[in-house]
Amino acid sequence: MLEIEALETGYGETRVIHGLSLAVPPGRVTAVLGRNGAGKSTTLKAVMGLLPASGGEIRFEGRSLLGLRPFDVARRGLAYVPETRDIFPSLTVRENLELAARRFARPGAAWTLERALELFPRLRERLDNGGQQLSGGEQQMLAIARALLMNPRLLVLDEPTEGLAPIIVQLIHGVLGDLRREGLSMLLVEQNFGFATSLADEVRIVGRGTVVWAGTPAEIRADADAQAQWLGV
Amino acid sequence: MTADVSFWIVQALNALQLSMLFFLLSVGLTVIFGLLHFVNLAHGALYALGAFVGFTAATLAGSYWAAFAAAPIVVALVGVLLYWALIRRMRSAGPMNQVLVTFGLIFVFLDVFRIGWGDIALGFAEPELFSGRSELLGVVYPTYRLFIIGLGLAVLAALSLVLTRTQIGAIIRAGVDNDAMAACMGINVERVFFLVFCVGCALAGLAGAVAAPVLSVTTDMGTAILIPTLIVVVIGGLGSLKGAIAGSLLIGFVQTFGSVLAPQLAAILIYALLAGVLILKPAGLFPARG
Repeated sequence: MLEIEALETGYGETRVIHGLSLAVPPGRVTAVLGRNGAGKSTTLKAVMGLLPASGGEIRFEGRSLLGLRPFDVARRGLAYVPETRDIFPSLTVRENLELAARRFARPGAAWTLERALELFPRLRERLDNGGQQLSGGEQQMLAIARALLMNPRLLVLDEPTEGLAPIIVQLIHGVLGDLRREGLSMLLVEQNFGFATSLADEVRIVGRGTVVWAGTPAEIRADADAQAQWLGV
Repeated sequence: MTADVSFWIVQALNALQLSMLFFLLSVGLTVIFGLLHFVNLAHGALYALGAFVGFTAATLAGSYWAAFAAAPIVVALVGVLLYWALIRRMRSAGPMNQVLVTFGLIFVFLDVFRIGWGDIALGFAEPELFSGRSELLGVVYPTYRLFIIGLGLAVLAALSLVLTRTQIGAIIRAGVDNDAMAACMGINVERVFFLVFCVGCALAGLAGAVAAPVLSVTTDMGTAILIPTLIVVVIGGLGSLKGAIAGSLLIGFVQTFGSVLAPQLAAILIYALLAGVLILKPAGLFPARG
């Protein structure tokens, strides 16, 4: 579904990603692990068109995403949940959701405002609150709900558990688990080892701007050396 | 004279009228800045262009309303031209280059006005419908100035409605908050900006045509109003509609009452106000970003 091949990208003159390759097969979850600064978020930004690639290829459903602007990438069916959540502070929760819902609404679409609110009942109580009035957990729920309302074919998540209370992490885990069972493809960048390996079909570890380890969740759980070397677990 | 209630009412109306002109100008400037991080110093020149175009339209058609209709349309079209020729290319050129280019545009426009209309003060009459004087709150006041106040309030109400109650308004606010995330939600932020830029130019043109019967039409009217308009935008908070409203009222009232109550201080009052606001609230009174 998504194939990244020999990607080269970075910020200005600074190369951050060198020849990184990974893939998300249809209906599967690929988790990307790695230490801070390894290049995980940078990779996602390149996928979303927020950073230009200076080399390599990114294909989605067989078509290249390179050179597309972020809004075109989004319209191809990729929804992004950034590390910083990026809720629009001057919009209410309802407006944040409707921004996605109205734009991507079509007959027979899997996700409607009503369904998103059933998924996160907490958001229903906060509908008329401003985006800046939400707790970290509520912001993350909103960021995920907003992405789902784009009715994406690939969900791109950047550290969805970062800074959240354990009970919220559990809730998000449950939601992503349900989405996985429904067959939604996901590219999940995460530092939380247990969270990522329990959701993923495939695990890739990124270190120094490229993939340094590839395998399944069971294999990485059993590979204490790789964990120590690349994750510091 | 200051003990007389009618003096205060008349000055308050004067201040309100000036505030509304500031509002028509600053709202475009501030939203353009908020959405694009682009400082358009030529915004004042567009206001002057509106006055000159209005003068020609009113003279040719023999009616004020020709100016009222032509100025925003022509200035918006000039805005389209500026956008495609310059501003679009300057988007990633950094603030210093943007300031230099739009500063240069001020001089280009100045010479265009001189060549096209000459270096003399022009004027055209207010519409018959609003000529003469009306009684309001016990004072007699020029009807046309009341019309300016009414127009400003109507534009303010319409913009607030669009920005807070419609989907396009939500898109604009989202773009001001975080343009990268808005783009990731499938919004063509560039196109939204273009639309906003055109509306901002049209409002500047409208302000020029509306101000012309009250002030006279001169080549330097754009540069004269640019500084207080920039102060309005900075005091209010860059990119914020609420800020443009508050800043316009504040500067309009301080400038009007300053010049009648303390004429010797009037010239520095708005700068002192600017300094004060920047010290206490560096992001302005109503910053657009949380």
